[in-house]
Amino acid sequence: MSDPRGPVVQRQLRDFVAAAIVALAIATAAFVAERNAELADHQLDLAARAMQQLVATRTEVPSAHAAIVEPAIASSRHPFLRHRRAFDGSGSRPLATGPDDKLLYDAANRVERTGAFAELLPDGSGRALAGKPGEGKQIVVVVTDPGSPAPFPLLVIVGVLGLGAALAAAGALIGRRAARVGTFAGVASLAIPAILWHSPIAATAIALVAIATALAQRVGLADRIANSLIRDRVALGFLAPAGLAMLVLVAAPFIIGIVLGFYDHHHGTWTFVGLSNFGEILSGGGRALDDPLNFWFILGVTVLWTACNMVLHVSIGVALALVLSRKWMRGKGVFRMLLILPWAIPNYITALIWHGMFKGEYGAINSLLHAVHLSDVSWFGSFAAGFSANVITNTWLGFPFMMVVALGALETIPRELYEAASVDGASAWQRFRHITLPHLRPALGPAIALGSIWTFNMFNVVQLVSGGKPGDSTNILVTDAYRWAFERGDRYGLAAAYATIIFLILLLWTVFGTRIMRGKEDA
Amino acid sequence: MKLWLILALAFAACNEPRGVVLWHAYSDQERTALEANAAAWNSTHPDTPLTLVFVPHDAFADKLSSAIPRGNGPDLFIYPQDRIGDWADAGVIEPLEFWVDDARADRFAEDALGAMTYRDSLWGLPFAQKTLALYYRTDLVAQPPNTTDELLALAPAMRARHGFALAYANVDLYGHSPWLHGFGGRVMDDAGKLAIATPEAAAAMTFARELVTTGAVPDDAQDPLVASLFNEGRAATAMAGPYFAANIADGVPWKVAPLPIISATGKPAAPFASTEGVLMSARAANKATAFAVMDFLTQDRQAKVRALRGHQIVPNAVLGTDPELVEDKVISAFTRQLAHVVPMPKGSGMRVVWTPYRTALGDVLSGRAEPYQRLVKLEGEIAGYAERK
Repeated sequence: MSDPRGPVVQRQLRDFVAAAIVALAIATAAFVAERNAELADHQLDLAARAMQQLVATRTEVPSAHAAIVEPAIASSRHPFLRHRRAFDGSGSRPLATGPDDKLLYDAANRVERTGAFAELLPDGSGRALAGKPGEGKQIVVVVTDPGSPAPFPLLVIVGVLGLGAALAAAGALIGRRAARVGTFAGVASLAIPAILWHSPIAATAIALVAIATALAQRVGLADRIANSLIRDRVALGFLAPAGLAMLVLVAAPFIIGIVLGFYDHHHGTWTFVGLSNFGEILSGGGRALDDPLNFWFILGVTVLWTACNMVLHVSIGVALALVLSRKWMRGKGVFRMLLILPWAIPNYITALIWHGMFKGEYGAINSLLHAVHLSDVSWFGSFAAGFSANVITNTWLGFPFMMVVALGALETIPRELYEAASVDGASAWQRFRHITLPHLRPALGPAIALGSIWTFNMFNVVQLVSGGKPGDSTNILVTDAYRWAFERGDRYGLAAAYATIIFLILLLWTVFGTRIMRGKEDA
Repeated sequence: MKLWLILALAFAACNEPRGVVLWHAYSDQERTALEANAAAWNSTHPDTPLTLVFVPHDAFADKLSSAIPRGNGPDLFIYPQDRIGDWADAGVIEPLEFWVDDARADRFAEDALGAMTYRDSLWGLPFAQKTLALYYRTDLVAQPPNTTDELLALAPAMRARHGFALAYANVDLYGHSPWLHGFGGRVMDDAGKLAIATPEAAAAMTFARELVTTGAVPDDAQDPLVASLFNEGRAATAMAGPYFAANIADGVPWKVAPLPIISATGKPAAPFASTEGVLMSARAANKATAFAVMDFLTQDRQAKVRALRGHQIVPNAVLGTDPELVEDKVISAFTRQLAHVVPMPKGSGMRVVWTPYRTALGDVLSGRAEPYQRLVKLEGEIAGYAERK
């Protein structure tokens, strides 16, 4: 007879290993942060000592190259060409040929310009560069040798993991509540190195992982997850690549985007500003409500843009679907293919073509107007014209999708309903109103929800057709966010906040809008 | 076994000597000339090959601003001076004066070298100069117009043949700059502060609007339309840069001349002059080698190749008297134009001027706004963007 404690210990260790992987990742992050901080402190301290010793005793410390740099001598022909001499361990010499001379020269220039500084070089070498004013107009500068970061404490981690596994197994052997206590203690033991690495946040996170694991055991969640992983391992194996891709390409940028909304970007430096970006956007930035840079104006344009497009997409798409579904219609396949073409062509190409057609007096549209003796339209000279140009282009792109959806739905309507209605004397309009439309709604509802989200964020058409002309007035939220990021001073944080607000608006629309539509269908 | 082989190959690829990577946005003849320069370097420096990477101009600056601070991007790149202040302040580019002596500096025209300086440092080696001049069709205009009145006098005859006296990219600040400076306006003052809303700048905008309303120039023209109108004989003249020569169709009779004098002020139309420099990334892998490449590319011999094959106005002082270049009709006309130009501002903050100015020009040219009021609004808007700089 087999020992019944075997499977219990196995399960316990299984849960411990899963939680320990997460805890180990957190502990490693804490270690790396602590190691980098220690290295920076060490190197900057070395740089400070090197400068101090050179000034005091005219000697260098090991692992650092310090120099006292003389004031620059400017070229008489080109004043910005300045040459410097320096005193270091090898005596007085021009800064020109030594391996560190460029760094020391630039550091001296920087001290003259902005005062003392000390920092690690951004090349990942762990070298520190520092400079400060010296006696008179001299400048003391130093560059250290590369720093060697502390190695990963593998033995410590192995020891802690062993201790944790032993605690977890011991708890399992005692049984019942002690098993969960053992799990908690085993996983939480990984918090000990995190505490030693001065990271209370990481230690707390590991403790929370330990608590969550113990609770999952208590309610049987750990077993259920493990069982389903084993049972569905083939399906999960197939899903894993897509899941990983979603994580890297969708989830990670999404989360980073939300976080960036709380920061301000300035010359490559990010500063936490809390809700300031959101406040600036929602307050309109102090601009009048009819100013094209005011968020509420742009939101109004975006909503109008979405509504106009959806009305046109649906009405044209359904009308064409009705025509194509007629029995008397010949060459349906050809027409269907031709009408789907706009959808099949990449939308930015279509947008560029339409942009060309709307151009001034040489565009195809105005040439057509000329041909029928109508006057030109300055397509990007007024809001109405620019907005119309965008809507026309996007309608061209959008109706085929609705037509395809409607065609599919029309195929499912039983012919008998129309025959019965005809027998009862129903008019064509009554047949459309009471038979066709109710049968189209279940298919069109989700299509409209999806289409409205696409249209709300249709960057390509607005950017490439009107480009916001005239005067930024035809921008929609997503194109305005782009402008804040790339044309108005690298305000990436503000643009990220815009993106978050757009997401929230669409989330609300998805939740409540689809509910409203579903309610209508149910009714 | 296969896996080990793949890993070994991947590892070997990672350790491949990198050489020097240079990003550029050149096309057509300019690109061919630059490739000739690179081939010359590579033939003599096989251990540190120069790799040219074409990056479309629209995305160029943003890619650099994003890539370099994270340790990516090129070792070298070619860009005009208007972003130098911004990139120098952000630590994106490397100061060069350490490597440059008087003899090297003397290689370049003083104004071109000055365009590469910022905060008493040198940030690039001058590579090419760009400005605008007047291309004219000799079958439509016997002599180039000396004044704007003479230019406008071409309008009635051109209108009769459904054409224009002049075609130029009138909604861009760069295209508008000859009028702006010719009327006495500016974008920034000598201290680098915004000086947009002035009566002179308003007069320049008014003039540009009159050109459109009188039908002397087409509305909202961009470079492709300008080339098309010029080639079809529907524009008697075109205001464009040296690159425009490559767009002129075979068989079109043309010449280039300096821009006319503004009749209202008596001052010459003075376009922006930009100096393209070869700049070094602050995160270049091997800076000494990268500088050697910069030095090589800007030598007189390589510059002459670019001038002759790429129609570039090269800033090498000695080439100003080179007989082969003096005979080149494009180069000689643009060299004369360079006597009447305004250097493009390079201070931090210039980069946020272009797009709002384009929007404002569009508003005024289409009659949606009055010049002075729109300029006041524009200056406020740009100040709002630039104050974080």
